[in-house]
Amino acid sequence: MDNDTQLDLAFAALANPTRRAIVARLAKGAATVNALAAPFEMSLPGISKHLRVLETAGLITRGRDAQFRPCQLNVAALQAVTHWSDQYRPIWDARFDAMDRILAEMEDKNDR
Amino acid sequence: MTDNAGWVRIERRFKAPVTRVWAMWTDPDLFRTWYGPRGMTVPVAEMDVVVGGTRKVCMEMASPDRRMTMWFTGVYKEVKAPTRLVYTESMCDAQGVIIPAKAMGMPEGHPDVTEVIVDLAEVDGGTVMTMIHVGVREGTGGAGGWTMAFDKLAEALGAGA
Repeated sequence: MDNDTQLDLAFAALANPTRRAIVARLAKGAATVNALAAPFEMSLPGISKHLRVLETAGLITRGRDAQFRPCQLNVAALQAVTHWSDQYRPIWDARFDAMDRILAEMEDKNDR
Repeated sequence: MTDNAGWVRIERRFKAPVTRVWAMWTDPDLFRTWYGPRGMTVPVAEMDVVVGGTRKVCMEMASPDRRMTMWFTGVYKEVKAPTRLVYTESMCDAQGVIIPAKAMGMPEGHPDVTEVIVDLAEVDGGTVMTMIHVGVREGTGGAGGWTMAFDKLAEALGAGA
């Protein structure tokens, strides 16, 4: 699967509030289908359908344990969506814009 | 993906003397003025700016439905006023106890610490600042980054399908 297809699938999978909530829950650690279903008013098959979408998109993997099959995040796939440097660069840029403004204000006060 | 997944390098030029830019990083009151843009405030900034000294910063984001605080702590590794500052950064609780990355849902092998390196140089009466924030090669970012990334993602995707 090429990168773009992978990314398209990931974004499509995340374009749903239930699936985003599942991903957010799995960010705290692996969980079984039952545990994932608990916060939602949804049947187990309903949750399982969402999990299959996430699994197909490569965002989660499921354990081999036949009975519980715990789900966990596939961090590598999520990286493509939320890249480290992509997250931090805009934060720092905005901070330094603010620093620039404040330095300029200080300069003005000194000139007066 | 690119090979700089694990770090951010930003170079900026300020029309201010190097000592003043240094103060922006090392005076808690000044630090608070610029560190939390875009709806974030910095209600707490404690810094003991000596090698081995600790720092603790609280960032707060208030939105209509919730108020989120994130605490960060770290240690100063290099302090060469007014040209070079190196400190570590980790998520922590309000008491300054480091929260391991794993406890925040990070995968095995994710470091609990990132490092910020600031170099300042006086050029033509102004200051050239180079900041490097080093994460981990595998990417995935700090826990705060995750939260913001998910928020950003949610925003980008709108209400969803």
